[in-house]
Amino acid sequence: MMKNDSLIKINSYLSFKLGDDEFAAHVGKVLNILELVKITPVPKSPEYMKGVINLRGAVLPIIDTRMKFGMSPTQFTQNTCIVVMEILMEKDTIQLGALVDSVLSVVEIEDDQIQPPPSLGSKYKSEFILGVAKVEEKFIMILDMDKVFSSDELILVMDSTEDL
Amino acid sequence: MSIDKFKDKFKEEASDNINDLENALLELEKNTTNKDLIERVFRAMHSLKGGGAMFGFTALSEFTHNLETLYDKVRNGLKVIDRKILDITFEAADHMKSLLADELMTNNEIKTKHKQLAANIESLISDDTQTDVIPKSGSSSESSIKTYYIYFEPNPDIFANGTNPLYLIDELNSLGNCKVFAHFNKIPPIDEIDINKCYTYWEILLATSTDENSIADVFIFVEDQCKLEIDEVADNDITIHADFIHAITRLAIEKKDVGIVEIKNLIKKLKLNANVALAELNEPEKRIESSKVKETTISSIRVSSIKLDQMMNLVSELVTTQARLTLFAEKTNNTELNAIVENMQKLSRQIRDNAFDIVLIPIETMLIRFQRLVRDLSQELKKNVVFEAIGAETELDKTIIETLTDPILHILRNCLDHGIELPEVRKKLGKPEQGKIILKSFYSGTNVHIQIIDDGAGIDPEKIRKKAIQKGIISENDELSDTEIFDLVFMPGFSTAENVTDVSGRGVGMDVVKRNINELRGDVVVDSEINKGTTLTIRLPLTLSIIDGLLVRIDNDLYVIPLSVVNKIHVVDHDSISSKFNNLIVLDGVQYSFFVLRNELGYKSEPPKTERLILVSYETGLVGLVVDEVFGENQAVLKSLGKLYKNQALISGATILGDGTVALVLDTNKMIKKFSKNSEIIN
Repeated sequence: MMKNDSLIKINSYLSFKLGDDEFAAHVGKVLNILELVKITPVPKSPEYMKGVINLRGAVLPIIDTRMKFGMSPTQFTQNTCIVVMEILMEKDTIQLGALVDSVLSVVEIEDDQIQPPPSLGSKYKSEFILGVAKVEEKFIMILDMDKVFSSDELILVMDSTEDL
Repeated sequence: MSIDKFKDKFKEEASDNINDLENALLELEKNTTNKDLIERVFRAMHSLKGGGAMFGFTALSEFTHNLETLYDKVRNGLKVIDRKILDITFEAADHMKSLLADELMTNNEIKTKHKQLAANIESLISDDTQTDVIPKSGSSSESSIKTYYIYFEPNPDIFANGTNPLYLIDELNSLGNCKVFAHFNKIPPIDEIDINKCYTYWEILLATSTDENSIADVFIFVEDQCKLEIDEVADNDITIHADFIHAITRLAIEKKDVGIVEIKNLIKKLKLNANVALAELNEPEKRIESSKVKETTISSIRVSSIKLDQMMNLVSELVTTQARLTLFAEKTNNTELNAIVENMQKLSRQIRDNAFDIVLIPIETMLIRFQRLVRDLSQELKKNVVFEAIGAETELDKTIIETLTDPILHILRNCLDHGIELPEVRKKLGKPEQGKIILKSFYSGTNVHIQIIDDGAGIDPEKIRKKAIQKGIISENDELSDTEIFDLVFMPGFSTAENVTDVSGRGVGMDVVKRNINELRGDVVVDSEINKGTTLTIRLPLTLSIIDGLLVRIDNDLYVIPLSVVNKIHVVDHDSISSKFNNLIVLDGVQYSFFVLRNELGYKSEPPKTERLILVSYETGLVGLVVDEVFGENQAVLKSLGKLYKNQALISGATILGDGTVALVLDTNKMIKKFSKNSEIIN
């Protein structure tokens, strides 16, 4: 718990893009950003679980974040990155790699800049979003990474316009 | 802070001591007059008492003190070991364990138990009704003297360390009756003599009441500067026999050295050693066993398991890095580099083998708990059961042993409760009244088999079938082989016991047993014959962390198939397989069923023209697995796929290849089981 306290005091967030939307994760959750490497697929597993890679001798599972958010599968481009994160899952801390379309920057967001997520009109379920912040005229959704990746659900609100 | 550390250390040692105590008690139960065993029990208690007092475990120390008093009486022949004493000591051993965990007895149950046990022990001590014990023939003081043979050959340069070997021999002389034979045959001709070197060596017969360790203590500072052998040769003072000394002296003059074999022969010839000779004749195995125990205690050290785990991780990484280095060196075509890398590879392979050997521990280490369970439970159930272990020296990865203990305990409970019948019933059936449970372990390839065999009632397949139908697990029309029926025992919620007892039969357990064993990449099968008994076979991999594998390709992905299951590889035409009906193929005149992995694993790309069919062994025989290409052997350091892939059943783990990519290791057994189920549905 000590660790968490010190994390909260840092107000740095890593922002990244999925499609046209910008998201951010607290830097305390982010361990590493990797370039795309060959992913070994694991047969007969859910589609958003892309497979595994070798991270310095350990096996790291890779999640297609876009698919988790109900978007089309990630198209691999030069900008595609793997964000290595530490996620709290049923009391265990696990490491995983999240595929994102591109990593933008590290932004400082003060606590008072963060607004509660809008309960209506958002594409995404509010329980996965810690808040929304306005940085340089753009809205960034700050995600609760533990909830995003430990949940089996899709993050998208089911009755959204996108075709599932 | 630091005292806590010592306390932890003591707890560790104490639980070892309690273990040793239990072990000795179990042996003592079979042989209640064995002095060595009583001595062992006494020693274990003594160290518990001493250590307990030193580190503030007062309750434990006082408690053990009373027990010690009881056994002191036994030792001095004032009491004999009987059921009552044994029972209470076993109970006491259990209680000591709880005292270790809860030294201040905060738990009231423990407190009551403590008082009750202490009172019982006291009453046993003061109970002198038993004193009509026949004292052992021969006075006890004489029998405690033993004769040892000591071979002492100092290194030539021992003087350089300021050691005078004669002082050591003097010291030996002070321990008891001592006969020294000096040998001078290694002294070189006079012009070659270096006066700074020692050329003499000695053979010594020492009759003393101290034990082997205290004799070894004499040599403690020169241990690594000499050749030293200490062996017990007789259980009394044989140096007082003139014939013997005469004969030995003659031998010593005639020959270069007498040697232990010669001495033992002499002792036998002159019949100086009544007890030992008899014991040797009667129970040769036991002798060997106890000497083996002695050896291990002297020559082993204690290492924390965390350190071992760290070492194993490092070795795994070394193996992976080595593979990369080898791959890289091959590409450079630099002969010098290649030579070095080849050497490195040899070394890392040796390190790996050594490291894996270190974490292997014998099945023996689990046995005490099993013996205790069988003993206690059979008494409780009023059954007469003997437990026997065969091949207990078989070694397994320590993590496997740790995980395996509970499942085996459960299996044993089942054997005792449902398997072995009551003595009356057995008698009626014409079986010996005493039931038997055998724990048999042996190696088979890269696997270890552990069998739990009982000669009890056996399992009636018809009964299981009915029960399974009643529970809706199978349907009336299902035709199952006996093996498949026995396999139902492992289904969750399945229990055939008519009465749910305290011990087992609640239907929890056997499925957990199977799951635990599966998690270790092993499996378990039951075989049984009515009224003959049941055999449960657990098959386990030798280690969890490394396997020899066959590297294969499917589409663009690499997979590893454990080499231990691979039988043969055939080249097959794609057309010839795709036209096969019912997934059956005839190879070398034998028909095999096969699965095309690219289809089963969901690959959609175009298959190559020729493919490889790998025959792997499966429960029911050989089964073919079709892959695109076979690359060859590969050393796979197994890594878990992690929690996210915990539902993945076909893959037993991942391994990192030389080029840094990840290959998945296939669990062929589970895979084939699953695929054949799927194809049944299709058919």
